[in-house]
Formats: sequence, structure tokens, C-alpha cells
Amino acid sequence: MTYTSRALGAANTLENRVFIEKDGKPVSPFHDIPLYANEEKTVLNMIVEVPRWTNAKMEISKEEKLNPILQDTKKGKLRFVRNCFPHHGYIHNYGAFPQTWEDPNVTHPETKAKGDNDPLDVCEIGEQVAYVGQVKQVKILGVMALLDEGETDWKVIVIDVNDPLAPKLNDVEDVETHLPGLLRATNEWFRIYKIPDGKPENQFAFSGECKNRKYAEEIVTECNEAWEKLIKGESPKGDIDLTNTTLAQTATYSEAAATEVPAGTNYAPAPIDKSIDKWFFIAGAH
Amino acid sequence: MSSRLKLTNQHLQPNRLYSGGAVDAKSLGSVNQGAKYTTDFKNYATHNNKIVSYLHDIPLQFDLANKTANMVVEIPRWTNGKFEIDTKLPGNPIVQDVKKGKVRFVKNLFPNHGYIHNYGAFPQTWEDPTHLNEDLQLYGDNDPLDVCEIGSNVGKLGEVKTVKILGSLALIDDGELDWKIIAIDVTDPLSQELFDIHDVFVQCPGLLETTREWFRDYKIPDGKPKNKFAFNAVYKNQEETLEVVKECVEAWKRLVNGEVRSDKVELPSLENVTLEGSPGFVEKYDIIIDSGKVDMEEAELGVEVHKNHFNTQN
Repeated sequence: MTYTSRALGAANTLENRVFIEKDGKPVSPFHDIPLYANEEKTVLNMIVEVPRWTNAKMEISKEEKLNPILQDTKKGKLRFVRNCFPHHGYIHNYGAFPQTWEDPNVTHPETKAKGDNDPLDVCEIGEQVAYVGQVKQVKILGVMALLDEGETDWKVIVIDVNDPLAPKLNDVEDVETHLPGLLRATNEWFRIYKIPDGKPENQFAFSGECKNRKYAEEIVTECNEAWEKLIKGESPKGDIDLTNTTLAQTATYSEAAATEVPAGTNYAPAPIDKSIDKWFFIAGAH
Repeated sequence: MSSRLKLTNQHLQPNRLYSGGAVDAKSLGSVNQGAKYTTDFKNYATHNNKIVSYLHDIPLQFDLANKTANMVVEIPRWTNGKFEIDTKLPGNPIVQDVKKGKVRFVKNLFPNHGYIHNYGAFPQTWEDPTHLNEDLQLYGDNDPLDVCEIGSNVGKLGEVKTVKILGSLALIDDGELDWKIIAIDVTDPLSQELFDIHDVFVQCPGLLETTREWFRDYKIPDGKPKNKFAFNAVYKNQEETLEVVKECVEAWKRLVNGEVRSDKVELPSLENVTLEGSPGFVEKYDIIIDSGKVDMEEAELGVEVHKNHFNTQN
């Protein structure tokens, strides 16, 4: 089983699409890639959307067929996250778990907020800088409950199982021992990252505490079950495209969809405007 | 500019009628030799396709009225390669520092990514390793003055920027005095609001505190102790900093005039192509640019360069 990516158009342009392939054949990173990478369910697949230290807000498109990764837009313009001092872009390899969904019709009993209608977000904390569309095998360490503009937006903390530190990290307290300050910085980053765009500070549920591995695993299971209902047509799908190339028992299975994806291109990334390099200083952030 | 300074400057000014003479900081270029991130790499400053020295030939254009000077960017913000002007090699190219035969990268001190400023040096300055600072009982580090440029744009290796001098921090790095001048690109909109070091504290909350921690801790991942600072780690203001720059300009003048001798340290190469009448003046450097080694593909960076290091000592 080898996952690769197929890029169409240059990075940092509106045309850019990154499709995920399994053994060379396009698959949906939302629906086709299995959530669990082993029988024991201790290793999970994660799709990298935003590599550490980059700013382009790349994300799995829910609406386009086979859900390629593309850059989010605001008012027709490519979206880049701001650098809030001392951070440079995202501080983790950021991405999502396949076959998960934060159901916007369900209010979480503890956060009292509805899901954000996206696959579950993941922060991978290993030493390597990933690439857009990379499929990593990771283990779960904890979860933080961001309330992003009023919606529950879980951030699952994980580490690549191949990272040298992975054997030492088994739960949330190990993160603080071996990577002191990382959870605090993560909390700060998500609270302030929209302030330069004129939005208020985000809030975290549970007073900002990072919940442990067991709690995180339950959230992942819930979101996996929500996705199961979605793919079976038991939940309203809204604008979500459910086309897949491997789930033969689903109504939206389409072998042809894989052949409709054009051949990849190999363009150099388009230059990023200098304004994206700006550092924003936020008083009282720390 | 004080009259004394002006006089010595004139003494060292190249004859403007002399062909290939004065260097115009606005029309500089540079040429790369060897692959970046290898020990072969050299970046030479050029002027009218002729090699000039980043240390001696690029004009500082120290302007005491506007508190500005030219700086050479050695390490762009958010990068790790420890590039610096090689003071010993004739022509003074920018090279990557080498430790134990390997090119050197600074470690990422979480949450920082590489250097947090556009880091570089003031040309035509020198921290004199033969001169004892009486107050501090420290010698200079034998390098041009270091500059941390805090503007928004990410600089380029070898870029020459005009910056406004705002303040400074007196680092003691491995027992040597190593000033870090805080400055901002004059073309950055924020420079219109920064007039002294105090303004940086107000306009850029966290920056100067983080800068101090960064220089204190940056060698810890390499197994070295925390660095110390002189003056209780308090930032010097603009006026005090201008004096530091003046002293280092004077030290550089003594150096290029051949007035400094040392049997303890190897002094910089004095070769230059602009300071006619100085002991190191040459018509041109004896350097041959190999066209096959211009702008070679960069060597790949190892995983170690991207690793975050966490301070478990605090």
C-alpha cells in the first residue's frame, strides 16, 4: 500500500489541486483512505494539508469530486494564515483524519457546540517537515477542543509512528515531558491566529486543557461513526461530495471517477506575496 | 557626522575619479561559487562585475543625522544555515561556518524557526580582539558588528539594506564581546514609527525579550552553556548604540590602516579594491570565478535542520 500525490497546477494558485493516489490510482482522502492503519487501531492514517512553517491554508475540499486538497479562498483570494510572533506559519504538520466528520447537526454534550462540518483536524508534532498530500501513520496522544467562531473544532495531537520520539510518547503528559511548552504554544497559536484578520480571540473548551489519549480516541471514534452515517446516506450531506473509488457497497462508489482525474503537472510553486512574510505582534498574547 | 570622523573617512575614501573606485551600494550584485550548504560555497559581492569585499569595500554610509547605515544580510529570517562574511579569505565572501568539517546550522529553539531576524553585519566595522574594553574586561570577537534587522520582509543572503539603528544588546559569546545591533530596514513602513529602542518594546511586544532568550539559549542544543550578557542584559538605547558603532568604525580604520598587530589571533585579510593608499589595497582580487560553479543546485538539508529543540533546562 503506497500513497502518493498528484498535483495539478502550481502551488499558491487558484488552480492548484493535490489528489491522493493509492498505488497510482486517485482516491478520496476523505472517504477512501482507511482511518486505521493496523488491526489493533493503534496506528491511524493522517493526511497532511499544511506542512509545518508554511502559511498557505491548504485543505481537503469537501465539495469537489474525490476531495482533492486545495487552497482555501476568502473573497476570491488565496488564504494564508498570518505569522503571529514568534510563530512562523503553522507550528505543526497540520491535517486531517480520513473517514471522520464533525457532524454540524450534533451538539457535543461537553463543549455544548456543534461540529464544524469538516474531517477531524490533526496536529502532528514529529521532527520532520511533511509535504502537502503526505499520508502519515500516526499515534494519538491527546485532544484539544477549540471553539472556532462558536463551532467545536477538535485538534487531535499525534506523532508520526516513525519519529524517533514516538516510542516515548504514549499519552498527553509525555508530550509536556519531552516537548515542554509545545501544548502551551499550540493553545496560544489557535487562540490568536485569526486576530490579525480582525477577528476576536478564539476560545478553548475545558479551560484550554489538552485531554488525554483515551478521551481523544473516543472523539475519533465518534467522528468516524458520524462519517459512517454520512457515507451511508443516513445524515444530510449538504454540499459534501461522497464520490469514492474503493467503497463498492456505497451508492456513491465510482470506479470511473479515478480515470477522470487529469494527469499530474510539475510546475514550480508560484511566488508568494511578500506581505505573507509579515510578522504580527499581539500584545498580551503570551 | 563629527568632523574628526569625516576627516578620517576622507582619508580612506577612494579617489572618485579612479576607475573601478567607489562602490555605489545601490548597484551591487553578487556571484555564487559552489553548491549552497556545502563547504565549497562562497558568495562574493560584485560591483560592475568586479568582486568587492563585504567587509572592506561595501560602504557603511554611517549617517549620524538619520541614524542609518548599510548592512549586509548573512542569514535571512527563518533560516538555519550559519552563513557569515569570511574575514580571513581575500575578497571576504559569505561562506557557511564549518564545525568539525561539517557546515553549521543553528538549531530551532521551539517555538522559534531558525533565526528570528534578518541577521547580518555592518561593513567597515570591526570588534577589535586586541582591544580590552576596560569597563567589561572583555576583548572584541574579531568580526564586523552583528546586526538584527527586524523588518517584515525576509531578506536574501548577500543583500545590502539601509537600516535605522535603534538599540543594542551586549552578548558575551564564548567569553568575547559580541554586540547585537537592533535595526530596521528604512523602507519598512514600521521604521516610521520606531525612533529608539523603547518604541520596539511598544510596537513589537515580545520581540526584544524573545531576542534576548534566543541569543542566551541558541547554543544549548549543541551542549554549550547559556550565553551571558554585559550590562545586566539591558538593551542600550539608540544614542549609546551609535557610540558603539562609531568605536567599531574606528577599530576597522585602525585595522585597514595596518595599525593593529596580534600574535594571539589571526586578523582579517586587509585586501580591498576601494581604499586606495591603504596597505591592503589591490587593483583587483586574485580570484577566478569558475563559470561551471555559478548557481549550482543546493545540497539537500538533513532532517536535523528541521528538528525542533525544546529547552528542558527551564
